[in-house]
Amino acid sequence: MDVWDVLGKRTVTDEWTLVGGVKAPDVEMALLLARETHFRHKEGVAYAVRRRGEAADALVPGTWPAETLGGVTDRSYRRQEAYAGVGAKLKRVAAQLAERGLRIDRPRPPGSGS
Amino acid sequence: MTYQERVDAFRARIDAGEKIEAGDWMPDEYRQAALKFIEMHANSEVMGALPEREWIPRAPTLRRKLSLTAKVQDEVGHGQILYRVAEDLGKSREQMFDDLVNGRTKFHNVFHYPTESWGDVAVIGWLIDGAALVTQKALLDASYAPYVRAMRRICAEESLHLRHGEDITLELVSGSDAQREMFQDAVNRWWEPIMHFFGPPSKARDVLLEWGIKTRTNEDLRQEFFSTYVPKLWDLGISVPDPELRYDEAAGEWIWSEPNWDGFWQVVRGNGPMTATRLGLRKGMWDTHAWIREAFAGIPPKAA
Repeated sequence: MDVWDVLGKRTVTDEWTLVGGVKAPDVEMALLLARETHFRHKEGVAYAVRRRGEAADALVPGTWPAETLGGVTDRSYRRQEAYAGVGAKLKRVAAQLAERGLRIDRPRPPGSGS
Repeated sequence: MTYQERVDAFRARIDAGEKIEAGDWMPDEYRQAALKFIEMHANSEVMGALPEREWIPRAPTLRRKLSLTAKVQDEVGHGQILYRVAEDLGKSREQMFDDLVNGRTKFHNVFHYPTESWGDVAVIGWLIDGAALVTQKALLDASYAPYVRAMRRICAEESLHLRHGEDITLELVSGSDAQREMFQDAVNRWWEPIMHFFGPPSKARDVLLEWGIKTRTNEDLRQEFFSTYVPKLWDLGISVPDPELRYDEAAGEWIWSEPNWDGFWQVVRGNGPMTATRLGLRKGMWDTHAWIREAFAGIPPKAA
């Protein structure tokens, strides 16, 4: 079975960048696996595959447009943005627990902790 | 050019900080060490999905269920990405998976233990993924380029998993006494496996370090883990079950007690409490889905 290099563009103006590889019997399957394996979390706006060893211009771009790549339903739980504020929450919870006298106060490296 | 001259030239490339690509010539020792390391990593991703998977049906809310499912999918995805990288070093994915499910190769020690409560999901998501992220970030500068590309993607996803685990942790520690106890109990049970996770003190000659496949020693990584996570646990009023553990301000390092390394070797040799169950599950899937691999392999190439 052929090995396909997987390439992607983070933004429309980027050059194609090698991001990984998949093994697939044909180009359709290679594109499907590339999309599922490497572009599930909105990692880019375009994706493509190229059979390993073929010339640079043998690139086959995928047809899914940027807006649907990575899904169209709300799947923010798959991405960092869903957890924005967790760092601040840690500080808040730590402050509350310190007030309740639960904080364990022992020597620690400078600048560490919440 | 003799074999030794080629090895010397390769060594010079590594020392100069050059990255090695799959098609480049490499010494047998390098190929074998990289393959074994990446294969073990891939095995661990695939097996590491299982302890958390057990909690998908029991997740407390729909949102937690969705996010945990997505995380488990990510871990399996990491396994697929890494098997692809390992495959180029000379062993087929089929052989690697067959070796794994039949107990001929290893996977990481932390995935041999039971997950007893939702607190375990928090510990795995925050502290074990945190430990993994400490070790994986150190691989972003490894010498094997395809592995580095895989690690870039994997570290991005692991950072997300870490937030996910931290979020569950904060929910538990700021909740009821029962929730706090659940999390503390999970930390107590998982602490020794986490200490094992970083491995025993590195050998005097570590082939992986020598060839730049790994870039930092086990101790170095363990110390970073302590500095990052122990103060946070203390801030949350969670104790660590190691009476010796303390930060020595004068020495600028953490003092900790050596865990029971015999227990570690028992587990990595395949005698952990959940080893047989989880490998059995994987083997069942592997055998049941053999027809899909056969169908794939049987698709004739398209005429150009």
